[in-house]
Amino acid sequence: MDELTIAMPKGRIFEEAYELLVKAGYDLPKELDDSRKLIVEAPNERFRFILAKPMDVPVYVEHGVADVGIAGKDVMLEHDRSVHELLDLGISSCYIATAGLPNTTMNEVTPRIATKYPEVASRFYRSKGEQVEIIELNGSIELAPMIGLADRIVDIVSTGKTLKENGLVEYEKIVDITSRLIANPVSYRLKQQRISEMVEMLRKQALK
Amino acid sequence: MTIQMFEKPLGMRDDFPFIAKKKTELRSKGTSIMEKAGYDLLQTPTLEYYETIGKISAIADNALFKLLDSQGETLVLRPDMTSPIARVAASKLLKEKMPVRLAYYSNVFRAQKREGGRPAEFEQMGVELIGDDSLYADAEVIILASSILKELQVESVRVVIGHTQLLQLILKDFGLSEEQIDLVREALVSKNSVGFEHLALTLPIKEESLESFNRLITTSELEEWKQWIDPLNTEQNSLYEEMLKLHTIMERNGLTDSVTFDLSFISHMTYYTGLVFEFYGAGSGFPLGNGGRYDGLMKQFDLQVGATGFGLRVDRLLEAMAPNREKESQTLVLFTEETEQEAHGLAQKLRLEGQRTTLQYAPAVQALDEFTALFSDVRRLDGGKNG
Repeated sequence: MDELTIAMPKGRIFEEAYELLVKAGYDLPKELDDSRKLIVEAPNERFRFILAKPMDVPVYVEHGVADVGIAGKDVMLEHDRSVHELLDLGISSCYIATAGLPNTTMNEVTPRIATKYPEVASRFYRSKGEQVEIIELNGSIELAPMIGLADRIVDIVSTGKTLKENGLVEYEKIVDITSRLIANPVSYRLKQQRISEMVEMLRKQALK
Repeated sequence: MTIQMFEKPLGMRDDFPFIAKKKTELRSKGTSIMEKAGYDLLQTPTLEYYETIGKISAIADNALFKLLDSQGETLVLRPDMTSPIARVAASKLLKEKMPVRLAYYSNVFRAQKREGGRPAEFEQMGVELIGDDSLYADAEVIILASSILKELQVESVRVVIGHTQLLQLILKDFGLSEEQIDLVREALVSKNSVGFEHLALTLPIKEESLESFNRLITTSELEEWKQWIDPLNTEQNSLYEEMLKLHTIMERNGLTDSVTFDLSFISHMTYYTGLVFEFYGAGSGFPLGNGGRYDGLMKQFDLQVGATGFGLRVDRLLEAMAPNREKESQTLVLFTEETEQEAHGLAQKLRLEGQRTTLQYAPAVQALDEFTALFSDVRRLDGGKNG
């Protein structure tokens, strides 16, 4: 049996993804997340997990240092990486939307958009024929309209709670997001059996 | 002011001596196999016209390095080798010698817009067999590429074979229009199963055939292809028959275990019109090379002939090829002013015997121990002890 290296997103998505693998029937150790290790082995299944920042999962997979990975569609939309998108896992469901202070319109001359997803944001506004200036931020995007850095933000919305707490309202929904199983194109061919088996096991679980 | 040492344009690399050495070995092994199979090596210019090669090459426009010549014409650094060779083959010189077998080992240029890890200049070696539209030509190039990988001792080699034309015909049978087929192709190129299944739901495919359509993306055996072949469609049947023949040839050459027949496999290179294939191996996270039939490209040069070929990526082969285990022997002769003449004589003698020999004036070396450690044999004519 080939060893499979799996890139997993640290943080929010990790638990859901790990649980999905366990539910799908993989024999994995109970606790993984509370250790600070970045590489964890699951010898019973010959799995090696690497724990990466969600944004970085497709990078590891593209370069083939991880055979497969679990990545949010948001990350895949932002960076066009040559990886195979094999399965919609249906977990960590959320969406990308525009938001801003209530009852405001965008500045007509140079509307400014703050976002962690510059590519997604500029594609969205281009498709609407609006010329905007994108300001890239790395977190706490909600701050930007509050203190006057931007007219709108483009960000992930899962419950809408963060927006509400900061007095922002959602304007337009851009795209639905779920986590996907992705594979390196070479691993997909060389470890085809193990990977297709994983797709089938996870597909059954995702449908439930 | 000293110049910043590590400034290099994005994607440009230095070949340090040990890489250069490995490359030389790879090059001589590869080219000798191609030449033995009857292919003639050729060299085409680094600069080509944007209007011809730039547009035909199937490389995205923003990946081309462009510049202007003194007449104001736009030039490109050649982004691939197939289109320049097609241009050469279309010239009068070779036109009358069809089928021609040409081989190359050249660097090509593709601009990188993102981070490192991908070269913008890399070498490719491969062949083009022009003027033969038979299946045997396709089989010949696949077997040739496989034998190069074998010679380089690449492990777990896999070749994935698809058929662009047959796939097109089958997609048409599902009742899809040209535009819809293009959308499907886009999802298939990146093997985006999720996008493919979502797309299927928006296409006018009959509900009872939806499952069969979704299965397209997971084929790996030639027998599986049969389920989509319409028994009454002679074109589909004759293409499938050809694939069966190819299968037999692969079998005879002991390649069956390393071949995957994936009907949904298509290349991002849009000029392929028939059989397409891609090579993979352990050690590189990226495909080692690819190829296929590109009759359509020849038409653009007003040549109604079939053509097929492959290109292998040297940078990726370097990662995948077996390391050279034997340590090269190299002698160092250290001399001083007094022993200079004697040292020259010794070096000359050793070199005549075929021994790689370095001559070095001893006082010019700053760290003698570190320096001599680089050599398998040290002859000290500087008064020091032979180590």
